[in-house]
Amino acid sequence: MNWWVKRTGQALFTIWAVVTITFVLIRGLPGDPGDRIREQAQRHNPDMSQAALERLIEARIPASYDDPVHVAYWEYLTSVMRGDLGYSTFRRAEVAPEIASVLPWTVLIMSLSTALMFAIGLGLGALMAYKEGSRFDTAMTGASIFFNSIPYYVAAVLLIAFLGYRLSVFPARGTHSDATDPGLSAHFIFDALYHATLPTLSFVITGFGIIALTMRGNSIQTLGEEYIRVAKLRGIPDRRIALRYVGRNAILPMWTTLLISIGFMFGGAIILEEIFQYRGMGWLMFRSIEHNDIYLMMGTFLIVTIAVVIALWIADATYGWLDPRIKSGDDSESY
Amino acid sequence: MTVNRTDEPSDDEPGSGDAGSRFDGSALFDRDTDGTDREYRADGGQSAGGGQMFSDSEFTDVTMGQRLSEVFYQSIYEPFVVAWEDWRTKVGLSIISLYLLLGAVAWVSTSEFLILDRITIIEPARGDGPIRLAPFQDWSYPLGTDMIGRDLLAAMIHATPRMLQMILAGAVFATVVATVVGTLAGYKGGITERALMTIADVLMTIPGLPLVIVLIVLIDPSSPYLIGIIIVVNAWAGLARTIHSQVLTIREHSYVEASRTMGIGTPTIIRKDLLPNLMPYILINFTSMARRVIYDSVALYFLGVISVNTIENWGVMMNIGYENNALIIPEVSHLLFVPMVFVVGLSFGLILFSQGTDRLFNPRVRARGSGSTKSKDDEEITTGGGAL
Amino acid sequence: MSTHETTVTDGRSHSVSDPILEIRNAEVVFEMDRGVSRVLDNVSLDIQRGEILGIVGESGSGKSMLASSTLDAVVEPGVLSGSVTYYPEEGDPVDVLELSDSELRQLRWEEIAMVFQGAMSSFNPTMKIRDHFEETLEAHNYSLSEGMSRAHELLSDLYLDSERVLDSYPHELSGGMQQRTLIALSVILEPNVLVMDEPTAALDLLMQRSIISLLEELKEKYDLTMMFITHDLPLVAELADRLAVMYAFELIEQGTTEEMLQNAGHPYTRALLNSTPNLDAPLEEMRPIPGSAPDPVAVPDGCSYHPRCPLATDQCVATDPPSEPVTESHLIDCHHWEESIESIPLNHQKEATTRTTDEERNPMDHQNQMEGER
Repeated sequence: MNWWVKRTGQALFTIWAVVTITFVLIRGLPGDPGDRIREQAQRHNPDMSQAALERLIEARIPASYDDPVHVAYWEYLTSVMRGDLGYSTFRRAEVAPEIASVLPWTVLIMSLSTALMFAIGLGLGALMAYKEGSRFDTAMTGASIFFNSIPYYVAAVLLIAFLGYRLSVFPARGTHSDATDPGLSAHFIFDALYHATLPTLSFVITGFGIIALTMRGNSIQTLGEEYIRVAKLRGIPDRRIALRYVGRNAILPMWTTLLISIGFMFGGAIILEEIFQYRGMGWLMFRSIEHNDIYLMMGTFLIVTIAVVIALWIADATYGWLDPRIKSGDDSESY
Repeated sequence: MTVNRTDEPSDDEPGSGDAGSRFDGSALFDRDTDGTDREYRADGGQSAGGGQMFSDSEFTDVTMGQRLSEVFYQSIYEPFVVAWEDWRTKVGLSIISLYLLLGAVAWVSTSEFLILDRITIIEPARGDGPIRLAPFQDWSYPLGTDMIGRDLLAAMIHATPRMLQMILAGAVFATVVATVVGTLAGYKGGITERALMTIADVLMTIPGLPLVIVLIVLIDPSSPYLIGIIIVVNAWAGLARTIHSQVLTIREHSYVEASRTMGIGTPTIIRKDLLPNLMPYILINFTSMARRVIYDSVALYFLGVISVNTIENWGVMMNIGYENNALIIPEVSHLLFVPMVFVVGLSFGLILFSQGTDRLFNPRVRARGSGSTKSKDDEEITTGGGAL
Repeated sequence: MSTHETTVTDGRSHSVSDPILEIRNAEVVFEMDRGVSRVLDNVSLDIQRGEILGIVGESGSGKSMLASSTLDAVVEPGVLSGSVTYYPEEGDPVDVLELSDSELRQLRWEEIAMVFQGAMSSFNPTMKIRDHFEETLEAHNYSLSEGMSRAHELLSDLYLDSERVLDSYPHELSGGMQQRTLIALSVILEPNVLVMDEPTAALDLLMQRSIISLLEELKEKYDLTMMFITHDLPLVAELADRLAVMYAFELIEQGTTEEMLQNAGHPYTRALLNSTPNLDAPLEEMRPIPGSAPDPVAVPDGCSYHPRCPLATDQCVATDPPSEPVTESHLIDCHHWEESIESIPLNHQKEATTRTTDEERNPMDHQNQMEGER
């Protein structure tokens, strides 16, 4: 119980810290914000008209900029807590609902990729460990390393080029086809999954390798444990040993990998969504950058971070339930 | 100057089970340590290491040179010999060296420093060739040319030094900050520990890329060093945490206790006991940080988050290819694929290297692989004893 | 030195009257990069039904291999040859090395069970103790309710709070509790033979003591035959009916505990006895054995102990001494055992003749002194 309180406290603290960082970033950069924006905008786009520049500066500098820092901070903090993330000049709407409307798509490809990546990685890794030293093991080790060394966005580009355009097997763009109406129909779900295929594959192909290799190492280590030998002598069926003994004890340390990959994939989703023009958080973030829409940009950053904090909190909570050693012991190493 | 050493070859009995492959290092590297005849086991065996660790914490008058050579030996040379046995380390290091060579070639070619000014091995890419030449067609442009006739190979090579600067800055920054924070927290304990680890925890939870994007948009950096550092702005946190827990483990070890009771200060202990032990681990994380810088910087250039005009970069070229529909038009697809090959190549080299060195930390995997038999009967050597 | 019981030897030349386990010419070989490693070398041994047999040897002398051999459980890539025969109370002898997988599965734990050193590493860290017991019963198709009530009884016999222990995870138990729990787990299927490999190695002295006495109680109650493997000679001497000494993967001497303590013939056994720390003996008389145990790849020719033996002659270098029956129960593998008895004095015997007080100090001493007085 104590552990729970602590962990939840840590999650809340992190969210507060991130909100503060966002505030500092919006407000605390050195120099006159107007000059900075002007200089930056001109570098990127020398032909920008004076009027457009002024509009841009106005849009990017919050109204409360003249308030003393503590007042502005308090105002920011309370409005974020109310769910008010500001007004998006580019979308001409409140930031929060805009983000809410695209968030599910990011979560969809994220969870699909994570699930597939771990399923393939864990299975393959365990198989490689059982066949340690065989030709299969060597070949798969090589393949895992090779695929792991391809950046996910390179894989995305290749997938678009070959499966998307050349062969036209999967759609290369978008979250769903225009013809399909969003809703809980089987047709729509299938269409959404169909569109999610290539982004998901980009993650899975480039990510399963490291999981397989780690799992292989863990399994080999677990297979060498004394308790496996004792269990065999006790006549425990092979199947049970594979699942309950080797599997469980080899997978547990992978929780760290899962935690890290959640954050990594949320970050990666931002890049992938831009490449696939997939209308999720990342796509929105890039639009905000393109249009110098600072509230929208900070809003997406904040929401992505909070999503990761929550995901980690859930994962951590589950870990305590999976590994009996964590609950009773100290909370020292959940990472 | 006399040096008290206790690190005699700790197990030189002819019959000690794992006499395996030994490497006599004294002839090569240990000249200045007054000829103590040390043996280093190429398999990094624990018993030999144990002996040495003790000698390190011993309060002895050792010259700077001796200490440096010792640190070098323990933390770099010995692990290296172990890692080198793995094919992955060899291939990985060769690939990395190749890129360093490319960087050096480009640097020499553009340098205006004294004599180097006159040497130009490969001209920087200029738009004077045929347009959109495919790779492997004309050997004066082996990798083809882009939309305005720039030689892709030259462009690739001349992007390398910037890339390496960025990688170096990022990896050095991350490993140094992580090591300092991790060791300090682990050793000091108390409030320092709690504060530093809370910061690390918070930073660790923040997804890296969005933060990096936000920072780059707001700061708009152009120096490759700064870009490298921004990319790892929170990546060091995970490493610091791991180093912290490693320090905690090492802190339990008796030899640190021993040096503490002998009245040796914390900084000395960290420098002489902890860091040499953590060195291999830090080196490996250095490569993973490097990989992260490559991935993220190329991605950010590719998508135009970092201003394209400022720096040549593989990602910039991918961006040019992408903008010119290289995905759809097969004739220009090399604009996209050539830089990709360079990115994947370097990343592959780094991964191979760290996979090869992985065995330094996973002795169990190593033991199983080499078919060692001494697993069961390995209790300490006592004949009788005890029960009275 | 004449008080050994006479044993009846049948046609198969057993050193005991009613063997439950008979090991003949057992050999374990590992193929290694450096060459072939023989970690068990032609060991023949009988275990008497209902006895406690102590196997003593240094680290790396092959005693764990001998333990694994009794269950045909030598870890790969080791290859076991020779023969191991199990004699059930009723029915035909079982050739352990010829059993099919399912027969072997039945033999293990139902007939012969094993306790390993390091109890912590013998349990699955993510499974409750109860699951360990239940899965074992289920795997062997034993009645779960009967089995679990036996588990409760066993744990209580071992002075454990059975309910609490069963509901714990391994890491929640202390070292001594884990070891006792492991012993309970190994006899849960009521085996006839219990092989114990350094069961007390990781425990403190008090805990070692109490486990030893618990084992004696357990043996009486459940009618067990025990093979107790250790490096700790005084510890096992208290418990065992017979002792066997291993050196360099061979059995070099065996006999009743009395014979071994009073009339050990092999110079190594005598050195082992003298190297034992003893509160009564002055420190200068405690002698560590000079030299070290041989490498399994390069065991010396002839008698493997000759490089360390003070009595070694050309004969020892040239030929491996055969087992010589000094009495029917006492076998010595040494060319010069008579000379050894004469020229290597045993510390505890010297003492026993010079001192007669302090009988409470140590049961082993106590026994020695009794012998000396006789």
